[in-house]
Amino acid sequence: MRRVSLTDKLAAIVRRDVLTTIRYRNGFLLSAVGVLAEVVAFRYLARAIGPAFRPEGVDYFAFLVVGSGFYTFLITSVQAFLSTVQDAQQTGTLEVLLTTATPAPVLIFLSAFSAFAGKLLNLAVFLAVGLLLFRVPLLHPNLAGVGLIFVLSLAGALAMGVFAAALQIAVQRGSVVIWLLGSVWFLTGTLFPVGALPLPLRWVAWWIPVTHSLTGMRGALLLGKSTPELASEILWLSGAAVLLVPTSLAFFSWVLRRGRREGTLSAY
Amino acid sequence: MNAVVFNSVTKRFCHRPALFNWLGRERGGATVALRRVSLQVPTGEALVLLGPNGSGKTTTLKLISTMLIPDEGAVTVCGADTSHEGGTVRRKVGFAVANERSFFPRLTARENLDFFAVLEDVSKEERAARVEEKLSLTGLADAADTLVMKFSSGMYQRLGVARALLKNPEILLLDEPTRSLDPGSAMRFWPFVRQLLSGGTTVVLTTHSFQEAAAVGDRIAVLRGGELRSEREFRRGAGDLQRGDAQSSELPTNGPSIDEVKALYFQASADSEDNPAFETAP
Repeated sequence: MRRVSLTDKLAAIVRRDVLTTIRYRNGFLLSAVGVLAEVVAFRYLARAIGPAFRPEGVDYFAFLVVGSGFYTFLITSVQAFLSTVQDAQQTGTLEVLLTTATPAPVLIFLSAFSAFAGKLLNLAVFLAVGLLLFRVPLLHPNLAGVGLIFVLSLAGALAMGVFAAALQIAVQRGSVVIWLLGSVWFLTGTLFPVGALPLPLRWVAWWIPVTHSLTGMRGALLLGKSTPELASEILWLSGAAVLLVPTSLAFFSWVLRRGRREGTLSAY
Repeated sequence: MNAVVFNSVTKRFCHRPALFNWLGRERGGATVALRRVSLQVPTGEALVLLGPNGSGKTTTLKLISTMLIPDEGAVTVCGADTSHEGGTVRRKVGFAVANERSFFPRLTARENLDFFAVLEDVSKEERAARVEEKLSLTGLADAADTLVMKFSSGMYQRLGVARALLKNPEILLLDEPTRSLDPGSAMRFWPFVRQLLSGGTTVVLTTHSFQEAAAVGDRIAVLRGGELRSEREFRRGAGDLQRGDAQSSELPTNGPSIDEVKALYFQASADSEDNPAFETAP
């Protein structure tokens, strides 16, 4: 029997998610308004603080837009994916999906990917409004570096999403991952530079993937750092992706087998 | 050749009560959903599972579909062990679950089926025609482009059957398939199942309807408290008009009679009416 390609399966999942999102008409519009409101708030915050404050050598507004935009993208993507899993548990769709011919780890990874793709639109609007509308000067951005940092950050965040889904199935509390990611935001350099933190917290910050994602993204996009100059971030994020992606999928498979044994796949 | 074999299968559900259970009265411990059940379903036949609520009928279907794996014993589907060869089993089994909400509510019926068809590896060339065929078969062609959140229970149920048929399964599992159907649709459904059987599909169906069991079953098993209490094979003659005649709404004449099915059911239940429901006062 001829199998359907992964690309076709991903397209089907993305289509399902896009159709579902746009059919929640008011929710879709409200989230777009929320994105715009946040950018405008950052603009006035940066103006209030004044042009003298240039964290990591960049304009504070640009620092906020890239930091908050990218951080929000990563967190809300994990959250969106977790919501998909929670909804599927509550409606009973999860059990049915897991009895299709598509292996569960593939299905879960593609679903996570789709959730991230959905939030990518928010990020694009956020950056476009922030950097283009308010005319933040970009110093010869290293687009290849931006792409590389983005892909590596995405891999790490996808793994976090899969961990959250696994915890949701195992103990019905996948939101613990969101809580953990959300509670360390002040360590990651989202709103102010990591250098402002005391030394012990800087050490903790170093172990958080998002810290490296934001540093790398700002370096590539706002400061035009070359790929060798971004080597430490690229290496750190590559190592995290290599470790986290297979571990999260193995953990998910284990949880799934446990759920099938205990009959808790649809428990919520 | 047996399509499905249960070999001394036991399934328990363990439940750990809340941390501060003194605040409530939650009961913990294990519930034995199936206890050392052994049965076989020959290829191309229909097994009907009867039994009161909580007797283990749905658990039996979930074990065949790999939604659950057994704690003891083994379930094999077309020779593949569900515990170790889940992927192979899932390609052969279609499951129409009793849960009516197991669809994406903001997609239409066609979009839902198309989505599941992709996951079931139905090729791009065949997909549209296959979806159309299953929509027509289940009488949903006119509602194909309606969001399923607007469906009635019966329409959900028919869509569930359509989804289970998408992969043209070798084994079709039907969990109370006519529960929400109007009587006319239910009576048309039975010959439809017999038609699938004549095409070589194996069917395992749970029901609370003696009439349905009589109309569909080649063999009927009665479960009670997770135990297989009785099982009987009913030979249908070669002249069974129901086979291949999905338009007929008549009950089959040469399957078991409804009285035979009732006798089998109550004989299995007679010795253990622990908590009979809706018992009237003497």
